[in-house]
Amino acid sequence: MSLPEFLSGINGLLGLQIPLLVFSVLSAVIVILLFAMPVGGICTYIERKVAADMQERVGPNRVGPIGILQFFADGIKMFLKEDTIPKNADRFLFNLAPSLVTAGSLGAFALVPFSKYVIGADLDIGVFYVMALGSLVSLGILLGAWASDNKWSLLGGMRGAAQIVSYEIPLGISVLSVVVVSGSMSMFGIVDAQAWPGSGQGGGHFWNVFHNPFLFINFFIYFTAALAECNRTPFDLPEAESELVSGFNTEFSGMRFGLYALSEFADAILFACIATAIFLGGWNLPFVDLSSIDPGIKIGEASLTPLIQTLLMMSVFLAKVSLLVFIVMWIRWTLPRLRVDQLMDLCWKYLIPISFVNLFLAAIWVWVFDGRSLLQLLGLSLGIGG
Amino acid sequence: MTFVDFFVGFCFLLGALSAVVVAFHPNILYAAVALVFSLLSVAGLYGALGADFLAAAQLIIYVGGIIVVILFAVMMSEDVYKNRGVGGWKGFFAPFIISVAVLWALLKLVNQANWPRIDVPVREHTVEAIGRALVGPYALVFQYVAIVLLAGLIGAVVIARPHYHEKSSGSNLE
Repeated sequence: MSLPEFLSGINGLLGLQIPLLVFSVLSAVIVILLFAMPVGGICTYIERKVAADMQERVGPNRVGPIGILQFFADGIKMFLKEDTIPKNADRFLFNLAPSLVTAGSLGAFALVPFSKYVIGADLDIGVFYVMALGSLVSLGILLGAWASDNKWSLLGGMRGAAQIVSYEIPLGISVLSVVVVSGSMSMFGIVDAQAWPGSGQGGGHFWNVFHNPFLFINFFIYFTAALAECNRTPFDLPEAESELVSGFNTEFSGMRFGLYALSEFADAILFACIATAIFLGGWNLPFVDLSSIDPGIKIGEASLTPLIQTLLMMSVFLAKVSLLVFIVMWIRWTLPRLRVDQLMDLCWKYLIPISFVNLFLAAIWVWVFDGRSLLQLLGLSLGIGG
Repeated sequence: MTFVDFFVGFCFLLGALSAVVVAFHPNILYAAVALVFSLLSVAGLYGALGADFLAAAQLIIYVGGIIVVILFAVMMSEDVYKNRGVGGWKGFFAPFIISVAVLWALLKLVNQANWPRIDVPVREHTVEAIGRALVGPYALVFQYVAIVLLAGLIGAVVIARPHYHEKSSGSNLE
C-alpha cells in the first residue's frame, strides 16, 4: 500500500471524502518537506559533531542545547545571504543547474519504502527509476560548473560527471544482482522477500546481504559506488578543496549553494535508504515479524494496529539508515582522497569486473538452489523453518 | 480535460518547442541543453502511455549517458563561445524539402492508421513482457546489439590508449 492510499484510508475511516490526487500531492510534500529537507539539515549538524569528536574538538555548541539548532541558524543564514552571480556567467544555466540537482535527489525519495504502508509510490520499476533520476544530478553538476565561467568549477564539474557516469555501472550491476535474487524491481517486493524465514511472511530470504556470498561482496561494491555517486570522501574529487577551491559549486552562494549542499546530504541519505531496503532487509528484523504484532488498541471502531506497526517498522528502517549515514561520515574523516587515475582504476579495473562475476554467480546460485537463501538452506538441513 | 490529457499536451508542447530550439539556437551548448528537455518530454509521453520501463530507460540512457557525453564534446569544442553560423537560405533548402516530405508521409500514415481507442489508462507489468521478448523472439537481435556495443568499446580503447610502440620504434630509428 502506498502512502497516498494509506492516507486516504485514514481519511475514509474519519468519514471524509477527499480525492486521491490531493493525498498524492500531500505525501510528496510530507516526504520532501518533513523528511528529506530537515534530515538533510540535521545531517550537516551531525557531520560537524562527528568530525569534532574524531578530532577531539567540541564542534557547534552555541545555538540551542549542545548546538542542536545549528542547522536552523545555517538555513536562515543561507536564505538571507546575498545571491551573487558572476559577471560572465551563463545566467539561465546558472539558475537551472541547482534545481536539476535538487530534483534528481529529492524525486527519488518517492520510492523509499519506510514501512509496509509508507512508500510514496510502489512502482514496478522501483530501483531502476531511482537510478534513472540520479542521472539528473550529473547533468546539473556539469551544467552548473560550465555556467559559472570559472576554471576550477569546470574541472570539478568534468570530474563529477565522469565519476558519476563511471560508478553508475558497478552500482547498477550490484543492484541488478539483488533484482535477480528477489525476482522483482519494486521496492516493496524486494523488501518483502527479505522477511525472517520462520515468520511465514513474504519470501523469507532474510536480508539480501546474507542471501549468498556473492551478494555479500556486492553489498560492499554498492556501498563504495554509492559513496562515489554522491561525491563523498574518499571520492570527493569534484569539490576537492585543496586543489579546486570548492569545485563545481565554487561560484554559487546563498540558497543556490544551499541547494547543492542539501542535495549532497539528501543523496547520501537516499543511498543509505536504498542500501537498507535492498540489502539490509528494510523494516525486517531477525527472529521477529513486526507485521504480526497486534496490541489490539482501538479508538471507537478504528484499530490502531496499522499505525503502531508503521511506527515500529519506520523506527527499524530509520535506525539502519542512520547507522549507514554514520559510517559514511566516519569514512569521510578517516580516509584520504583518491587521485583521478586511482578513482578510474578502482571503478573500471576492480569494481566492474568483480560485480559482473558476482552477478553471474548469484544468478547461478538462484538457478541451482531454486532461489533459496543460505539461511533457508541451513534451516532446511536442520529441519526448521524454510 | 483530465490530468493525463493535460500531461500529454504539456509533453507534446515541451518536446516540440525544445526541438525547435535544438534546430535553430545559435549557441550549440543551448541546443544540447534543449535536447535534454526534448528527450525528457519523450520520457513523459512513454510514462503517460503506461510504458514505465521505457520512460526510465529513456532517462538513464539518454539524459544520464548520451547527453552528458554530448555536453563533454560541446564543452571541449573550440568554437563553443562563438555562435554557430546559420548560412543563408541555401543551407535550409534541402533540409526543408526533406522535412516537408517526411511530414507529408507521416501525416498520410497517421490518417491511414486505425487507432484503437482506450478510455481507461492501462497499467500492465511491462518489465516482464520486455524481458521475455528480449530473451525470446528477439534474442538474436539482442545479442547482435551486444556485439556492436563491444566493437564500439574496443574501438574506443584502441583510439584512446597511448601509442607506446610507435614512439619507441620512432626513437630506435633515430
